[in-house]
Amino acid sequence: MLIVLLIIPLLIGLLQPLIASDSRRLRSIAAVAPSIQLCLGIWFLKNPPDSISIEWLPQLGLKLELGVDGLSLPLVILTAILTLLAICASQLEYVRPRLYYPLLLSVNLGLITAFLAQNALLFVLAYELILIPTTLLVAIWGGSQRAGAAIRFLIYGAISGVILLGVVLCFGWLNRSGLNFSYSSLSQASLPFNQQRWLLIGVLVAFCLKLPIVPLHGWQPKTYSQAPTPVVMLMSGAVSKMGAYGLLRFGLEFLPDGWMYWSPLIAALGAFSAIYGALNAIAQKDIRLLIAYSSIGHMGMLMLALAAATTLSLQGVMAQMLAHGLIIALLFNLVGLIELKTGTRSIAELSGLMNPQRGLPFTSSLLLIGLMAAAGVPGLAGFVAELLIFEGSWKIFPWPTLACLLASGFTAVYAVRFFNRVGFGRLDPARANWVSTTWGERLPALILSLLVLIGGIWPTSLTGISEATTAQIAISNTSTNQLEQQS
Amino acid sequence: MASILNTAAEAGCFKTLLAAVAAAGLSEALDGPGPFTVFAPVDDAFAALPAGTVQTLVDNPPQLARILKYHVLAGAYPQAQLVSQSDWPSLEGAPIPIRRSEPFEVKNATVINADIVCDNGVVHVIDRVILPG
Amino acid sequence: MIPPSTHKYADVIHRLEAGGSMLPDTPENLEQIIGIYKAYAVPMDFYWRDLLYIAERVFLNPLPAFKYFISKQYMDLANSYSGDNSKLRIWRGGEKAHPELVAFMKRGETISMPKILHHLWHDRINMEFAEACMQAMFWHQDMGGRFNDYLESKAYLANADRAIKAYFKGNPLMLLLYKLFPEMFIEQVRQLSYYSNLGLFWEVMAPVFFEMSDLYDEGGINSVPEAMDFLVNGIFAVAGRPIYHHVYMGNECIEIIPKSEGFTWLYEAALPYVEAVFYRTSPFRGTKSYNAQANQVPADQADFHYGILYADVYPVGSAGIPPTLLMQDMLHFLPAYLEATYQNHGRGDEDKLIQLGITFQRSMYNVTSAVIQALRCALLYPLTDPDLEHLLANRRFFEAQMDRFLRPEARLSDIQQQNYR
Repeated sequence: MLIVLLIIPLLIGLLQPLIASDSRRLRSIAAVAPSIQLCLGIWFLKNPPDSISIEWLPQLGLKLELGVDGLSLPLVILTAILTLLAICASQLEYVRPRLYYPLLLSVNLGLITAFLAQNALLFVLAYELILIPTTLLVAIWGGSQRAGAAIRFLIYGAISGVILLGVVLCFGWLNRSGLNFSYSSLSQASLPFNQQRWLLIGVLVAFCLKLPIVPLHGWQPKTYSQAPTPVVMLMSGAVSKMGAYGLLRFGLEFLPDGWMYWSPLIAALGAFSAIYGALNAIAQKDIRLLIAYSSIGHMGMLMLALAAATTLSLQGVMAQMLAHGLIIALLFNLVGLIELKTGTRSIAELSGLMNPQRGLPFTSSLLLIGLMAAAGVPGLAGFVAELLIFEGSWKIFPWPTLACLLASGFTAVYAVRFFNRVGFGRLDPARANWVSTTWGERLPALILSLLVLIGGIWPTSLTGISEATTAQIAISNTSTNQLEQQS
Repeated sequence: MASILNTAAEAGCFKTLLAAVAAAGLSEALDGPGPFTVFAPVDDAFAALPAGTVQTLVDNPPQLARILKYHVLAGAYPQAQLVSQSDWPSLEGAPIPIRRSEPFEVKNATVINADIVCDNGVVHVIDRVILPG
Repeated sequence: MIPPSTHKYADVIHRLEAGGSMLPDTPENLEQIIGIYKAYAVPMDFYWRDLLYIAERVFLNPLPAFKYFISKQYMDLANSYSGDNSKLRIWRGGEKAHPELVAFMKRGETISMPKILHHLWHDRINMEFAEACMQAMFWHQDMGGRFNDYLESKAYLANADRAIKAYFKGNPLMLLLYKLFPEMFIEQVRQLSYYSNLGLFWEVMAPVFFEMSDLYDEGGINSVPEAMDFLVNGIFAVAGRPIYHHVYMGNECIEIIPKSEGFTWLYEAALPYVEAVFYRTSPFRGTKSYNAQANQVPADQADFHYGILYADVYPVGSAGIPPTLLMQDMLHFLPAYLEATYQNHGRGDEDKLIQLGITFQRSMYNVTSAVIQALRCALLYPLTDPDLEHLLANRRFFEAQMDRFLRPEARLSDIQQQNYR
């Protein structure tokens, strides 16, 4: 059954350009793929599927090993939702739709493969697979400065992939039971502490390039601001989660001792990233860049929770992955909608969008919900995630946790300032010459808002599936006493 | 010499004014010793007001009295004395401005015939109804 | 002939001197203002009836939860200026409440339900707007006329005292409170006198607007100056109407402000109303915060500039803005030709409140022009006066009126454009 999740986007992506050429039909056909994936994913919640193991390149140790567990299933569902909504948010005016939708679906394919992979080499394959389609999506359909953004993104991504490949190959060579890349083998490998330490650096660099985490975030603001709205929804919501997922698997699960050694550094990086992202967001004058830096801030908090690696904080990691995925997609969607309607992305030129008669009242109301969720207001998904992160990390890393709390406060600052400037105030009638949003344009944001709300008032939806798995990973890292004993 | 009201009745062009004075119940007061200075609008002045204005006032004696009292000063003043001051307090309370002496203008009305002396005061004939404010 | 004016609004002044209005004379302007006059007159029909109901019957009820539940007697109260028995008939229609109003009160925007449900759902005529206008007149006080001074006089105090004692006869608690805090009760009675004042004012305006709409429908009004002239004649015709405050308790009628005091519609109601509601009003809580220490609200009440003539109509529909209540009321009674116009402009159905709000602003500039022309006619000289001195006096008067629109918030230059909608 698992293989179906992969075959569907592959098939539809390949066949689609041959079946239709009309933008509307292509979009409808493309939407079928993630819909099926979503239904299957939800079905898998109740009926866990069997793992698959098919030999692919035995000389390399590359096997098509697929399986779900508590970590990957929520992310698979998240990817399906975000892909579906990204397709819905794709405008019919995009040029070359016959290339566009298959590229989106190939990103989806790569993501699902990466999350389902039970073989490290397969994971790297999927990881790299995503790179080219996303670059093309940015380069062809992006904003005015898309060329530079795409190149930069490609370079950073390629370096990340190369480093990850190197690390995974080392995994394989250093594996005492032969050249075996499967997770089951790697998780029991128990490499010596020294090797773990140095391998983890590679893992960290590779995935921090993806999340991204300061100081490896150089590509992110430019790329997120130049990518088209559906692509940035998918990238910030799902592709970046691949980085967190990788850190959980490759870092925490396979290199626990090394993780404990480097965890203070990881926590510090996370805290610094959180503060850096939030402060930068306060200073932004461009609505896209504001949300992009906000994303960096939230990923920093995620790093902190990863560093602490307690049961609670890892639940926070999962919650944050899901919550942030939804919230950031919501924010980018709304911000993209505002830019589409008003024709500008400069905060200075926007004001009074909440005007019920001539503004964008629906869009700005949802934007308010999205910003509140990003700021961690209780009742919405962001709060659940942040609460778990702070509660889980506080005992292990008090100072970085305090820094992240401060960053969370800063989030409220830029959220309020942003909305105050853009939503409230007087609408300039000379600028207000747009047609109000249709229900089709509102739908993705509406669904995301509902999901964010559900996540906030029903926290188990964010953490329930993964609780058992994260508990397993965390158990080996609950106390810092072990750290002191080892060094 | 006759009283102010008798003089007006004899002149023949103050029918509306006299009817208004009667309706407002001011006849007795204006027949008193005074002395008064009265700015008397001719019939044409009342006719020049938009339709219904006079009727509404006639139907409401207190309101009519107020407008009429605005045309009366306490004391008898000839033109020569009137032009020496920029405004004079009417019986209604609001001031009556003297806007020009040559031609003699009282508020926005022109005095057609000044200094008609009567028993109990002086009458100046004006061509418009003057209103407070 | 006098030389041209050098005022910023010279062309408007020349238009006024030619007998026109501040609003340019175009067929589109005429259609819009007549339509909105009719849409305004229907809720106004309710306002004046309920204002009198509150002033005369509800009076000092300490818990007036049902003050908007107007009695049938007041819905059927004969408007003195319409109906067959009217002494000065302005409108050709009936003297009772307008049929569209009655229909709306039954059904509202939803369905036909008991009145209390309509009231709680706020699916009704927004009487709060009328009360806000009354509050503006009450608070600004000194705007000409003798009404306000009378409210401080001994005669009024004696009348009010009588009325309060009669109203609370047999209620020892309230009489005790009255003994302890007499000023509080007297102040309430003063406010109720303003209710009566405004009710009597609007009793006149409603048939005027209805008649204008009927005349326009049959082709009797063909230009904006003609509409303005109708208003000027109406103002004069009713100028002498008495303003009073009578209170009815059971069979007894106590005259708190008797007609014999001589208060007139023009001086004690219309002119203060225009000053208080068109020009001054008060800042609206809810759209922006005003920093009193930074003098964002003028210290001098005469400097207030929050009336419809200065209003920024775009925020209409947001909370906390009393004119939104009026716009919402007018939305229900738009004539068909105006509905069609609004559908074809702006966002069609979605921003009708803004569109009709701007139309309303234009129409009130026309009413203000009528008031200005009426004042000129009453206190100054005819437009065709041969005397140059007189024409210059007229010119100075018009310029002084236009000076009030020099401040940046004034919308006079906006309404000269057709694309302001």
